[in-house]
Amino acid sequence: MITQERYRTTVKELLANGSIKMAIGYKPGSTPDRRRPLFIRTSEEAEQLVLDSTCVQNLSGYLVSEGLLSDEKRVGIFLRPEGVRSINILAAEYQLNADQIVIFGFDSTGREVRPLDGRSAREFSGLLNELKEKPLQIYKEPLLERIEKMNAKERFDFWQEEFSRCIKCYACRQACPMCYCRRCIVDSNQPQWVNTSSHTLGNFEWNIVRAFHLSGRCVQCGNCDRACPVNIPLRLINQRMANEVLDGFDHFAGLSATQEPVLASFKKDDTETFIL
Amino acid sequence: MSELFEPKIVAFVCTYCTYAGADLAGTSRLKYAPNVRIVRLPCTGRISPMFILKALQKGADGVLVSGCHPGDCHFTHGNYHARRRWMVFRALLDFTGISPERVKFSWISAAEGSKFADLINSVTEDIRNLGPFDQYQQLIKETESPATL
Ligand code: SF4
Ligand code: SF4
Repeated sequence: MITQERYRTTVKELLANGSIKMAIGYKPGSTPDRRRPLFIRTSEEAEQLVLDSTCVQNLSGYLVSEGLLSDEKRVGIFLRPEGVRSINILAAEYQLNADQIVIFGFDSTGREVRPLDGRSAREFSGLLNELKEKPLQIYKEPLLERIEKMNAKERFDFWQEEFSRCIKCYACRQACPMCYCRRCIVDSNQPQWVNTSSHTLGNFEWNIVRAFHLSGRCVQCGNCDRACPVNIPLRLINQRMANEVLDGFDHFAGLSATQEPVLASFKKDDTETFIL
Repeated sequence: MSELFEPKIVAFVCTYCTYAGADLAGTSRLKYAPNVRIVRLPCTGRISPMFILKALQKGADGVLVSGCHPGDCHFTHGNYHARRRWMVFRALLDFTGISPERVKFSWISAAEGSKFADLINSVTEDIRNLGPFDQYQQLIKETESPATL
């Protein structure tokens, strides 16, 4: 509550003195435990701001809405550490200028919300480096380990079962701050890379492509996983890929705005044990 | 089952090294398994993982991707980029149950005609032992748009 009130005051001040033109935060949603994005331009709108442990959505995707940042004015945004990582990735991929983003950082343990120090992405680098050292503990998933122990056939069966439910609504893509392409590969039909029907084959292809395009870019904010209407455990694939780039290339996505994207860079001595 | 299973394999190769290596195998009159359909591309850096998925979508039992040795890329570092991408993509396929045994990667230079012939033989043999990719082909059948390979 204190955090919420304090931030509300800060937002009002920054809006009033013109340091930011808008702040993106949360307001009550359709049920007590749901939140909606709130776009604050006036101090009246700031009154609706809610900040509690149910504010889980990574809002950074809204920053790349067409035209929002093109006037070079600054925009404030409420972010958890994962959200700060997305800002860094978006900046590293030249989708935005990190200096234009004013961060209202927060995190929560249980129902307790606490503010995070720092106003610009750069000031979070200490925190993010700590996260890099301990992500495996935070995201340890018993199911992930179970899948890794299966043989190929069992794994295929597991995912076939999961993917067969996919309805190709692309909510996972829409919810993801890293999925900003104007034209997604699944929307391309000349050539048509991925089957558009939501039969299991097409769903396999779609989910593999989605996961691949997010490898080394996903920040594990969970937006996709929560958005999926049929509860496909997308977090497992995301986590597996994050482990892969961390183990293989010591890459933790979103550490800084100048970090090279892992799949757009290379080292001459990258491992190649699998190459014949 | 007395008849030998003949796997369908698609090979994506770069034009400067592996394709030239395949050419050398041909002009040297080396014999190798006829199970491979070769698709020639400018560089391994141009070989999108989508190609691998597409090959499987069309009913391939195995896929081979091959290009210049590190350091030999005609475009200086296309193969270094490709190598990273393959490593990640391979892990992804593995995690979703598409056995990495079915998707192989190799470096073959323009001078390695015999390596090319040997590799095609051994890859064909490996995939033959794995058998047809039934699980995937069942999914293809369900779509009612049969494979065209
Ligand atoms: S893939 Fe999912 S968890 Fe990863 S950044 Fe996108 S929405 Fe967040
Ligand atoms: S949100 Fe779920 S159902 Fe919708 S396309 Fe993504 S995986 Fe499929």
